[in-house]
Amino acid sequence: MSISRLALWAMFVTCLLPATAKLHAQSSPAMIASQVDRLLGEEIGIPVGVRQSTDEVFLRRVFLDVIGEPPTSDDVFVFSLDDRADKRTRLVQQLLSDDSYGKNWGRYWRDVIMLRRTEDRAVLAQRALEAFLVEQFNANTPWNRIATDLITAEGNVREDGRTGLIMAQGGRPEETVAEISRIFIGIQIQCAQCHDHPTDRWTREQFHQLAAFFPRVAVRPTMGDVRSFAVVADDTPSRRRTNNNNRFRGTQEHYMPDLENPESKGTLIQPVFFVTGQKLDLGTLDENRREQLSGWLTSPENPWFARAMVNRLWSELVGEGFYEPVDDIGPDRECSAPRTLDLLSSQFAKHQYDIKWLIESIMLTGTYQLESGNRRTLDELPFHANCPQRLRSDQLFNSLLSVFEIEDTEPSSPAGYGPASRQSRSAPRLLFNSIFGFDPSTRRDEISGSIPQALAMMNSPFINQQIDARRGRVLAPLLAEVASDRQLVEELYIKVLSRQPTRQELKVCLDYRKGIADRAEAFEDILWALLNHAEFMHRR
Amino acid sequence: MNDHLHRQLDVSLNRHGQLRRRGFLRCLPAAVLAAGSLDWQGRLAAQAAQLRQQARACILLWMQGGPSQFETFSPKPGHANGGETTAIATSVPGIQISEHLPAVAGSMDDICIIRSMNSKEGSHPRASYLAHTGYIPTASIKHPTIGAHVAHQVGDLDSNLPDFVRIGRVRSASGGGLLGINYDPFVLNDASRTPDNTTPGTSTERYQRRLGLLDSLQEESEATEKKQEVRDHRKVYGKASRMVLSSDMKAFDLAQEPSSIRQKYGTSSFASGCLMARRLVEAGVPFVEVSAGNWDTHQDNFERTGTLCNQVDQPFAYLLEDLRQRGLLEQTLVVWMGEFGRTPRINARSGRDHYPRAYNVALAGAGVRGGQVIGTTDPGGVGVEDRPVGTADLLRTIFQAVHVDADHQNMSNVGRPITVVDGGEAVGEVFSG
Repeated sequence: MSISRLALWAMFVTCLLPATAKLHAQSSPAMIASQVDRLLGEEIGIPVGVRQSTDEVFLRRVFLDVIGEPPTSDDVFVFSLDDRADKRTRLVQQLLSDDSYGKNWGRYWRDVIMLRRTEDRAVLAQRALEAFLVEQFNANTPWNRIATDLITAEGNVREDGRTGLIMAQGGRPEETVAEISRIFIGIQIQCAQCHDHPTDRWTREQFHQLAAFFPRVAVRPTMGDVRSFAVVADDTPSRRRTNNNNRFRGTQEHYMPDLENPESKGTLIQPVFFVTGQKLDLGTLDENRREQLSGWLTSPENPWFARAMVNRLWSELVGEGFYEPVDDIGPDRECSAPRTLDLLSSQFAKHQYDIKWLIESIMLTGTYQLESGNRRTLDELPFHANCPQRLRSDQLFNSLLSVFEIEDTEPSSPAGYGPASRQSRSAPRLLFNSIFGFDPSTRRDEISGSIPQALAMMNSPFINQQIDARRGRVLAPLLAEVASDRQLVEELYIKVLSRQPTRQELKVCLDYRKGIADRAEAFEDILWALLNHAEFMHRR
Repeated sequence: MNDHLHRQLDVSLNRHGQLRRRGFLRCLPAAVLAAGSLDWQGRLAAQAAQLRQQARACILLWMQGGPSQFETFSPKPGHANGGETTAIATSVPGIQISEHLPAVAGSMDDICIIRSMNSKEGSHPRASYLAHTGYIPTASIKHPTIGAHVAHQVGDLDSNLPDFVRIGRVRSASGGGLLGINYDPFVLNDASRTPDNTTPGTSTERYQRRLGLLDSLQEESEATEKKQEVRDHRKVYGKASRMVLSSDMKAFDLAQEPSSIRQKYGTSSFASGCLMARRLVEAGVPFVEVSAGNWDTHQDNFERTGTLCNQVDQPFAYLLEDLRQRGLLEQTLVVWMGEFGRTPRINARSGRDHYPRAYNVALAGAGVRGGQVIGTTDPGGVGVEDRPVGTADLLRTIFQAVHVDADHQNMSNVGRPITVVDGGEAVGEVFSG
């Protein structure tokens, strides 16, 4: 993190000509982005008085969005000096090829899956899940491939990260398919679990037909010294009942419970995929059930697969989704710009669900690059600004590490579950995640800061020690090298907020400095204030 | 004075009888104030006194792991399932409890035992979630826990102390859920230390100076750019720093307590938790959860349950006594419960396994009629014989005692109204004669 990515990149890239870009000009992200801008203008009109973000805001935004880390002071410097017209495009492409991209989005999807777990022991699977996701995002594995892997997984949950989604629900069919539907196609069909959906078209039977793809999946404790579980396909009939709601054994077929008579066996249900109506015979082996389901679910014939991903990433990057919240979409929900969403979604499917292509396309739109502004009120047009988002826990922790110049060597998922893993849970990043973590599927405007979060930022020994000019490694060299107070304030602003202070801010800081005899003490206080500033905890 | 105005005065007062700043003056018709026809100072004072009297609190003693009913409040001496545990007399003639709870037996006048609790959930996480929320876990909806509902309906967002404090580790108990993180518990891992991050890293004077600097720097962004996120951030920081600087924080400091009182609670960490719970309730916190355990005695049930009872017995009994002496017992509900009970059959490792079909809870304070037992099980403790009480029934009973509307509906993130407690009926006998 101490090496400036941009400085390195500038050296290598300046001599390359932009000729290769023309080869795929037909569907390049830049072309799609301009189509999106045009269509969005037609569809919802162009909001009055919008402005493009400044380079400073854009730089920090792209860094946090793509790699989950803020730019270093060097990055800010290099980008401000770059006068090429396409420097924003180059920045996006450069960061997408950085390995921290996979780390950032792998952690994002780890949270999407794990923060809705109904099986506590799924913590055992968290580290493997994260590693799997990081690898896939960095390899730019197509989204349909990742989804298929997560749906069809078998294996030890500590070793094979693909099992994470199923383990998160303990392999229970209803909960597992509810999550598959919510995460991959954005449809909350589980509301129909007990009765027909009050506002949607889905019926209770359709929900259970989806669960009927999963009855033969079981989650079993593994043999051996290390406590673990395995997701297994269980095609052999068994009369043994599961106990305590642990799903150590599967059942041959799925039965829809009789609500009037919960003790009875219920109605035998055939696997049918509710979106397309495609179905399988009773008696089908587990392997075929899950293969078929993932095939149908990720096929371009099911438009909700692409729409759910496009809507989610657009919402993450622009700060407002076409549908909100991102995991409650579908034919009975209102979309603010359906044609624009369909353009991006059909192109995403055409590009073999290429996630980097999608992120680049969104980031090159005028909408993404707008200046930062509050979420719209009901009578304002959609997408009139890029809305500020509270940083996810890992992004915020990375920002702290960057300011404090600490190398990131710690695990970001606990090693296990129970007393044995207590030590690993006390690692600063994990402690931090336990206070600052939130479910990324929640509407971001519903995520507010909490008292424990404010207390941790203001008073935690970890942060206060780093701020200390004698004990931390940040302030001492700056105090020694930068003689001018004004320059030192500017250095700190760039370091913490990736921008220059305004004239007024500069004045406030210098006035404060004047009131305190000890220079180190004054700048410790200024650093403390900047770290506790709302702007540090948000991406604008 | 018209009824309309009365209602407005009602909603404008919080549980401490202080005015809520939000919107109070806005909703008072200006004409009424201008006409001077209203003695509203007097009316406010009367309301405040009444509210203070009514304000309820709850201390949940959470027995993590599922305590054995046979070794606590439902002994079965003389039956094979009862094992080696004997029963002792209590302060109430005719009621016997296990030999492991002698101090609690002395407080039986205050305690109502329910011996007919039952549910279907026999796994720790699911049963803990059920006991705390009234719902089984789902991935799509995060149901609020008991303390979150109390904080939401009885608490005071403007107070210096958190409305919901949890002491010790409680697994799978949920938090604010769909009510949002404002209703998450304020968690203390250990009652013997001040809560994490509540002590400034500098002198108080310097901390205040820093806050002043932060405020001037943020003021500008909020004023000139009307940034919502800055406004919200300053609100949270305002509350957090008020809390740190507040003298109310002394409630978290057990060293302030005379050693005579500390001795009466005892020395276990659960004892410290109970003492802190009393201090917090006294300071106006409406919900405190204190955990003890682990009661998951698959092996050596008798020895381990004996040890655990020994840690819980004295603090539980003295907590009731202490609350009474301070005049707090009448408005403070104390609940002793775990996620389920344990099997009547003693297994080969002289342990007992999970058993949700028939277990027990104990209630005291806040209008609960002590000295009674509700419900019975058959002689072997296998099934409930009389007056079955389910999780929803118990939660309704708890909410009735602390003045939380159990039929209130909160909106879920997917736009579905979720009732505080779905179904069930409060157990009337708990309160009545």
